[in-house]
Amino acid sequence: MGPTPKKILLVEDEDFIKELYTRQLTKAGFAVKSAVDGQSGLEALKAETFDLLLLDIMLPGMNGLQLLREFRTQNPNSPMITILLTNLGQEAVIKEGFELGAQAYLIKASYTPDQVVNEVKNALFGSQPPSSIPTAQ
Amino acid sequence: MQPEVKTKKTLHIKIALIITFAVITPGIAGLFISLTPILYLLAGVLSSVLSIIILFWILQPLSALIKSTGVFSDGKLNHRIDIRSGDEFEEAGNSFNTMADKLSKTIQSLEDERDTAVSDKNKFSEILSSVIDGIIALDFNKRVIFLNEAGKQITGYTETEIYGKPIDQFIHLFRDKEEILSKIYCTASFNQSTQLIGKMGKQTRINLVTTQVGSTVQTNLSCILVLHDLSREEELEQMKLDFVSMASHELKTPLTSIVGYLSVFLNESKDIPKESFDLLHKAFTAAQQLQTLIQNLLNVNKIEKDQLSVSSGPIDYLPVLSKAVEDLRSQASQKEIILTLIPPAQNLPKVLADQVRLGEIITNLVANAINYTNPGGKVEISTTVSPNAVQTVVADTGIGIPKEAIPHLFGKFFRVSSQTQQAKKGTGLGLYIAKSIIEKLHGKIWVESEAGKGSKFYFTIPVVTQSAGILNRDKFDSEAIQTGSLNY
Repeated sequence: MGPTPKKILLVEDEDFIKELYTRQLTKAGFAVKSAVDGQSGLEALKAETFDLLLLDIMLPGMNGLQLLREFRTQNPNSPMITILLTNLGQEAVIKEGFELGAQAYLIKASYTPDQVVNEVKNALFGSQPPSSIPTAQ
Repeated sequence: MQPEVKTKKTLHIKIALIITFAVITPGIAGLFISLTPILYLLAGVLSSVLSIIILFWILQPLSALIKSTGVFSDGKLNHRIDIRSGDEFEEAGNSFNTMADKLSKTIQSLEDERDTAVSDKNKFSEILSSVIDGIIALDFNKRVIFLNEAGKQITGYTETEIYGKPIDQFIHLFRDKEEILSKIYCTASFNQSTQLIGKMGKQTRINLVTTQVGSTVQTNLSCILVLHDLSREEELEQMKLDFVSMASHELKTPLTSIVGYLSVFLNESKDIPKESFDLLHKAFTAAQQLQTLIQNLLNVNKIEKDQLSVSSGPIDYLPVLSKAVEDLRSQASQKEIILTLIPPAQNLPKVLADQVRLGEIITNLVANAINYTNPGGKVEISTTVSPNAVQTVVADTGIGIPKEAIPHLFGKFFRVSSQTQQAKKGTGLGLYIAKSIIEKLHGKIWVESEAGKGSKFYFTIPVVTQSAGILNRDKFDSEAIQTGSLNY
């Protein structure tokens, strides 16, 4: 990791998840900002530049895909990496996310926060050794 | 019954007397009184007139008889004649009365029978109308001869529109887009769910039962179709599925937090007392099991709705296998089971599958193996490559599966424990889901097992052939990150 921490915007409406991901990503050395809905997420994206967007799809009001579409329309050349966070993942939704420039998607339920951090690192810096849950001694 | 009545001849005598009177009177009068021809003629006329008057008087009962016959035939069956002329007319009157008695009794009994028949008919048509299933009866020429109320509602037709007309001109029955009315027409034991298309293309999902009637040509009844409307049931089923889906999604959200927080806590709390660590670890394991359970419920829901979409694309198998196995390692060690993923002897080719679905299959099989293996046992996962597929074996040293249970093993909600009365947890959904997914991926799944000696679950996933690789090279091939389910 370089001297300036990579900036991540996390858009997630579930407080616990948002808090947990923010904590783990911050601990991993990222500069994390968060938003709880599509509208404030979009405003945050307008206010500053991020290296990576962790975007929940199911959001109150403007949903994740609408946010992404809006952002891509305004910033067609942004190098920001987008990872979709989802619990629902209908094929069409994911496909639409990819068409809007998302690089990847992951399912919150089957990834532990540390695995999520690992995927973020992968996306930003290339392959990382996999993390796994500790086993009982 | 009636003794033969000796016919009176009184009337004959009466008429004979009158004629005699009419002819003889003027003659006799002529004998005693000398009459001019004119007077003689006058007397003749007078006596004739008198005779006719008397005749009319005699015949008067006849008109009474005629009148009464008329009244009776007009339907007044209680009407009787009262003639007391003492002659044949009286006799005719009595005969008439006897006949009228008998006739009205016969008519009464016919009417009673008719009433009974009508009330029976009403009763039966009432019964048929009250049946909530549609009933259509057909004659030997496939023409509709009966349609009950429910039948009208399901088909949209009324009796007048459809009676006497061939059924296949009005109603179409489809099973998987195939018109079946002509094929199944009154086969002995047809009982299946079909799509009925009635008036103006009205579609109804029904269960159709056909019955061949062994009737004579006289009744001209050859077939009865019973249509059971499934739309309400399907609506309820849909509501149930929607509810399960909604509830499962709602349960997942907090559970994701629980599992997330616990995993972070466990990762960071190496220095807490072992006992406390173990307690929390058990909570973590249980929460993970709950996640799998909810995921299984959602999957079954999808299978039921025929919405389980599996996107088949070329993927690296080993990372998927490793992640699924590693995620269960803590569960295995808690039960003191040795979980081993034997590294493949050669590089695995890319397989045509859906990463997340494939992960679910492995998770289900390995979790089952752990579940049904006693502490100290082993669960081993290995892979072999054939030209067309990668075969994976999940072998355990567990309690095994009784022979009689094996044919039912991949059915929904089936649990070996329910047969052997061994209390084991599980919903019995895992293998059903695994089979459904594997089949969608064009693979195979089977089991070899012996009670008490452990089980070996095998499954194959097709490998990417050159042409398939080209066909499936779409956006989902992105190797950026190992991610993603496509269908929740």
